[in-house]
Amino acid sequence: METTITPGKIDVIAVSGAIDALTAAELIAIFHKHIHDGHPDVIADFSQVEFMSSAGLRAILASVKEARSVGGDFRMANPSAGIDKVLKMAGFHNIVKIYPSVQEALASFGS
Amino acid sequence: MKKRLSIVIGSGGILCASSLGLIKALQSEGIQPSMAVGCSGGSLYASIIALGIDSEIAQSLTIDLYKNDVVEGYTSNLRAAMTGETRFTESSGLVDDKVMLERLSIAFGEKTFKDTIMPLYIVATEFYSGEAKVISSGKIVDATRASSAIPMVFPPVKIGEHLFVDGAVSNPLPIDVAIREGSDLIIAMGFELPIRKRMNSYAAVTSHLNSLYMNNILKSSFAFYNAASHAEIISILPTFDRQIGGFDHHQLPYIIEQGEKATAEHISYIKKLLDN
Repeated sequence: METTITPGKIDVIAVSGAIDALTAAELIAIFHKHIHDGHPDVIADFSQVEFMSSAGLRAILASVKEARSVGGDFRMANPSAGIDKVLKMAGFHNIVKIYPSVQEALASFGS
Repeated sequence: MKKRLSIVIGSGGILCASSLGLIKALQSEGIQPSMAVGCSGGSLYASIIALGIDSEIAQSLTIDLYKNDVVEGYTSNLRAAMTGETRFTESSGLVDDKVMLERLSIAFGEKTFKDTIMPLYIVATEFYSGEAKVISSGKIVDATRASSAIPMVFPPVKIGEHLFVDGAVSNPLPIDVAIREGSDLIIAMGFELPIRKRMNSYAAVTSHLNSLYMNNILKSSFAFYNAASHAEIISILPTFDRQIGGFDHHQLPYIIEQGEKATAEHISYIKKLLDN
């Protein structure tokens, strides 16, 4: 699993590879550090995530909770069809704002 | 210590045959599960896996089981039940289960849970309380028949003191059983029931609404097990780009292929999780 941060008005953190029991803790740490470094609003670009287990779902929940606890929000963009199917099945579209593209996720913070 | 890998196969009728593709993909990488859990249509394939039944035999069993003579008499019996011409009680079904039992007997004969090569758990729903119950002893024919007792269609099944109906009524994808039995890694293969776009009969509307209920139970329990447990769950949700009817056994190669394809996409990550 790798992450790349693109700074901007709202920072975009692109995640690639697998989010599972082997990588979830590291991902949570990256998101939490970023949120507490003065970036309470975060967009996670999931377009390059190839695999996600239940540990990945829990990492998303932990990051959403962390961002909202400091007055921000954790939003997701562009999950692949396979990842999105898992997100939908788990009802994540009801509790997390998920957009089909990074541009739409960025625009959502302006509205 | 070697990690314990469980396979959980949810309800989904003939789509559950995708699990034959799942097993094929795992076996091609030398991965052997140590436990099988199944519900409803998934109980048949969990049993097939746990008994070590060859894939070719499993496919021919599937073709026999999903012939429409299994539900012969449904329409006329529905009419008779609705007009009160025939008495309908909690023990009734619109279809005589004789053919289904014959086909299940061809598959499993007198085999019991003691004959399996790995622990096998089958989920059915206790008719009166609605609670999910795990069956792990006795004859596999009885357990699979109980777990697959589609509400109203097939009569519920009495095992011991309990009357059982389809496991999908309470727990369509019983991941919790694998968690409770100590799995380290759980591969969960689940299916949403197909949603109708047009309905032109009472039976079609009822079937559609049942699908909605069951899909919503599936999603709620799936969310709970994934978010609120410590378990490492890998969801394999095959996609089908064509309509597959309940008795479309001629689609079997495609159904299996989609299961194999969906598993193959995850296989390198599954291996990594098992090795670390």
